[in-house]
Amino acid sequence: MSSTLLPEEQALDSHKATRSRDSKRYGFFPGCVAKESCKELFNSTMLLAEKLGIELIELTAASCCGASVVNDVNRDVARVLNARTYAQAEALGLDDVITICSTCTGHMRAANKELLENEEQMDQANAILGKFGAKYAGTVTVRHLLWLLIDDIGLDNLRAMVVRPLNGLKVAPFYGCHIIRPESVNGWESARNPHSLEDIIEAIGGEAIDYAGKTRCCGFHIQLEKDNVATDMVGQNMRMAKDHGAEAVLTPCPLCHLALDGYQQDSAARWGRTDLPTFHLPQLVGYALGIPADLLGLQKHLIDPRTIMVERELIS
Amino acid sequence: MAKIKLDLFRFDEAVDTVPHRDLVEVEVPETTTVLDALEWAKAEVDGSISFRRSCRSAICGSCSMNINGITGLACKTNCKDVIKADGSISVDPMPNFQPMKDMVVHMDPFWDKYSRLKPYLQPKDADTDHATERRVSPEDMKKLVAVANCVMCATCYALCPVVSVDPAFAGPAAIAYAYRFIEDVRDGQRGERIAQISEDYLWLCAHCYACSYCPKHVDPNDRIIDVKRAAISDKVMMGERGPRHALTVSKTIKQTGMLAETEVVLGTVGRFNVIAQIKVLPLALRLMSRGKLTPFEMATGGTAPMLGLPSIKPIPKVDEVRTIFESLEVPV
Repeated sequence: MSSTLLPEEQALDSHKATRSRDSKRYGFFPGCVAKESCKELFNSTMLLAEKLGIELIELTAASCCGASVVNDVNRDVARVLNARTYAQAEALGLDDVITICSTCTGHMRAANKELLENEEQMDQANAILGKFGAKYAGTVTVRHLLWLLIDDIGLDNLRAMVVRPLNGLKVAPFYGCHIIRPESVNGWESARNPHSLEDIIEAIGGEAIDYAGKTRCCGFHIQLEKDNVATDMVGQNMRMAKDHGAEAVLTPCPLCHLALDGYQQDSAARWGRTDLPTFHLPQLVGYALGIPADLLGLQKHLIDPRTIMVERELIS
Repeated sequence: MAKIKLDLFRFDEAVDTVPHRDLVEVEVPETTTVLDALEWAKAEVDGSISFRRSCRSAICGSCSMNINGITGLACKTNCKDVIKADGSISVDPMPNFQPMKDMVVHMDPFWDKYSRLKPYLQPKDADTDHATERRVSPEDMKKLVAVANCVMCATCYALCPVVSVDPAFAGPAAIAYAYRFIEDVRDGQRGERIAQISEDYLWLCAHCYACSYCPKHVDPNDRIIDVKRAAISDKVMMGERGPRHALTVSKTIKQTGMLAETEVVLGTVGRFNVIAQIKVLPLALRLMSRGKLTPFEMATGGTAPMLGLPSIKPIPKVDEVRTIFESLEVPV
């Protein structure tokens, strides 16, 4: 095992542990997709953090959360992988781990809930972590950036920071299943009638569209399973959004983003053209807070969001 | 007493071509359930209002319907919890079913999927070989109790987004009920049952947890994962995309600490399945054209695994991740 310090270990004095919320220093778990095909999400998150005056300390040695898939192979492995991640945060004196993906949020919270509520599972995890000198004491909370924006920054403060309001751009919120369901795991807001994304959209000067698709599934996890099923789920939801007047979609989940941005074109055959550009949460908030559009990686999307932004005179 | 406006879906397949809505005012005690409010409307206002019901205690599973857009048992839903600001409650039939009359729907697709399971015990040996009844330990029975509580109300089936676009999917209730027999120590058809439910698209579950709203806490979402695990541990239909996906994801995490996207796509559709690869190619090219995937990432995702190498750069301290996989004897 290497004894070289990780970047976050070099930057932080782990003996000065304080609550993340007070110090505005958070453990940051970007997840796999934000480091691979949605790098624009990672970049825009870091730019937004700087704007907000918070420090996101990336846990660079953290593993995948299990992606809701490894549970299909083994009932314990995702829990222990996540315990390892929490142990890394604790070692740095960080009690908050911030995610930017709905699936990471749900599965990391589920693992943490099991660890904290079940002594046997905590012991099992620590027995394995002990093999490489790590230990999880159970002090970590997993939260999504969306919740941080509302709880720690606050909607009023956010509103006050807006320099480029969205001029009433009609935005359809798309939550992604695992940030709301199951409610026993997430429970930050009502799973059946959430409104955090709507609150954010309105705080930055947009108009939130209400439609039944907002809490439905994007089909990401079965994109490869059977032809057309996941594509139809994208088409069905985007049709609903479009029919309710949406001009764009906002999602806190890069998996939803890949599905909605990537498969809308293919869903047109059955559901008609919808062509709704999809923003990652920190992109749209970042834009409103004055981060230049090109730095937010909007040009990386398959359905170019800049078209509607030019039309609505948000960018030239 | 509270005045409630019931905004009702009305349709009779025998005479109507399109549904219409009726607004029916009822005056009922504040603590009344939606089912009791409907009973009042039927008894006092319009006897033709149709809905299924029997026990009024969340035991029979008859009265699932869509209440203010949310599917659940009318007998378990209190009016005061769902009444809208304008004093109304909208009542519709369950989605994902063909309406027959008002809130009564054609349940056939749901029952068909259930009967395909052969939902009865098929023991390993003949009754005559047994001097006593077949016994189950409390420990073994514990696993089955939650699923045995299923009242087949079809709420989960109505909520399932996969069923809504592909009626071939078995749906949550059938998979949960398959689990009930797969894990029953007295049953002799475990392998056949896992194969049957796999053929009925076990692996098409979208992991969305919509069925976590089960009114009887069967939690089909968790039982679906249990059945998938049984399929992998018994090695049933391992050539299918579902098991290949789960195993490739696990393998890339063990090897690199991360879910390696390109390798997962190729490992799931089949490294040598050219036709399937051609189908995913347009999206890959679109992702590349926007710089979301680099040609290098595509190339290493395609070739590195064949050389036994990780397709993406492993995370720091990846040997710790491998220790976790090895300690738990994960079969990848």
